[in-house]
Amino acid sequence: MGLRNVEYMIQEAFTGIRRNGIMAFASVTTIALSLGVLGTFALLALAANRFVLSRVNQFEIAVFIEGKTLADIEPVLKQIRSISGVVEMNVRDRKKEWEAFKRDRPDFESAGVPLDVLPFAVDVKVSDPGRIAQIASKIRLIKGVDRVNESKELVDRILAVLRVVKVLSIAGVLVLLGTTALIISNAIRLTLYARRLEIKIMQLVGATNQFIRLPLVIEGVVLGAVGAVLAWFFLTLGGRYVALMAEKIVFLGRISSGVGRAELACGLIFVGAMIGAAGSFVSIRRFLHD
Amino acid sequence: MIRFDNVSVEYPNGVRALNDVSIHIAKGEFAFVVGPTGSGKSTLLKLIYREVTPTRGRVLFDGEDIGALKANQVPYLRRKLGIVFQDFKLLPQKNVWENLAFAMRVIGRHPRDIRRRISEVLNLVGLTKRCDAFPHQMSGGEQQRAAIARALVNHPTVLLADEPTGNLDPDTSWEIMQLLEQINTHGTTVLVATHDSQIVDRMRKRVIQLEAGYVVRDQEKGAYQHSTLTEDLCCGA
Repeated sequence: MGLRNVEYMIQEAFTGIRRNGIMAFASVTTIALSLGVLGTFALLALAANRFVLSRVNQFEIAVFIEGKTLADIEPVLKQIRSISGVVEMNVRDRKKEWEAFKRDRPDFESAGVPLDVLPFAVDVKVSDPGRIAQIASKIRLIKGVDRVNESKELVDRILAVLRVVKVLSIAGVLVLLGTTALIISNAIRLTLYARRLEIKIMQLVGATNQFIRLPLVIEGVVLGAVGAVLAWFFLTLGGRYVALMAEKIVFLGRISSGVGRAELACGLIFVGAMIGAAGSFVSIRRFLHD
Repeated sequence: MIRFDNVSVEYPNGVRALNDVSIHIAKGEFAFVVGPTGSGKSTLLKLIYREVTPTRGRVLFDGEDIGALKANQVPYLRRKLGIVFQDFKLLPQKNVWENLAFAMRVIGRHPRDIRRRISEVLNLVGLTKRCDAFPHQMSGGEQQRAAIARALVNHPTVLLADEPTGNLDPDTSWEIMQLLEQINTHGTTVLVATHDSQIVDRMRKRVIQLEAGYVVRDQEKGAYQHSTLTEDLCCGA
């Protein structure tokens, strides 16, 4: 196929969009809406994933070390720091701990127990929540460590939840992707139906299927991409609003899907264009076989 | 050029449109296919442009079995055919010139050839001055001329016309028929399905008469009805 014909097909695709303005508008709107729903779901799933992960990261190993002053526990801290996988350590404020303890056990205070009876509590952050148990057992072996609290069950449960969230979101995205493809191919079928005379004439004068199909597939790609840009616009606006709302809800904190604006645009346009092309291709097949 | 060998067509709904049809249409011939609605005229034409394939028998075009063509070869068969319909099938949002250009463009013809060829055929059908009119701005006769021009634009060897005058008044019908005859004198084989008895009687061409899917008459210089009386009257007139 010559360059002249390719040029003609691209030209035909845009002429087609212009001449069938209302149908093109309907298709773009449908594509934008379906991609918007798909994108919202995918972004929420990603945000949920990240949110759960960030919670897991906050589950650190609590290490209790005996000692009267910070200097006493320094050698132990050094050893913990040298274990691979340990990212950060935080010695808790003993006064605050004491206040909290007193609230729980008023009997201790009345008995005149001094502050330094409490061990130092150190929060150890690890790089990978899956390695908590392994690192905890290493810390346990260090001399001077009184007790290690790894909250293993909680971590396991959260990891299990994370797995479920992952599976559900992948399944959800797949189902929505399928539905979006169906809706879009239906919208394109309507635009084709409006042009069945044109297609019929092309067939009767001996246009090859490729010659009939390509401009329409290009049209599908363009409509898909335009729909995707609209969806991107609304998702970006909506995303900013949701993030603002989330920050107001204290326990949620900063929430983000971790997907950049450019990445989101590229992803949506790619999906929109692919679905547009596939939708056209499938719908035209039916017409060509009539 | 076109040969039907014992062709039968049965549609999926059980209707038998054609029964054991055997005819031959020679190169350069002008023939009418006549018969009442539902007698199989359209099916006979559809077999030639491969809209329908025979249930039994063979349809040969230049010795090639049309029914055995692969789907991707059908467009190349159709480029040898020009097809005209009762309802014109012009694209309403394109003007005459664009309608013709479209038919050439979609088979990949060069814009230079398109310009030259369109002015040729518009001249032939007498629509040179109406080339920028849209279908809704034209009379039925003009629209059919435009449709014939489109059918001719790709140099077909055969022109198939399915009830080309079905929507036209008698005078206009006659003009269209004369145009088809003129095209025939240039060497194009013309096959016209019609139930317009006046035209058939006046033209005195070969008549293939169908009845319930059977060829009941195939007569050179025939009339619409097979009756010596009619023939005599016409010849006497």
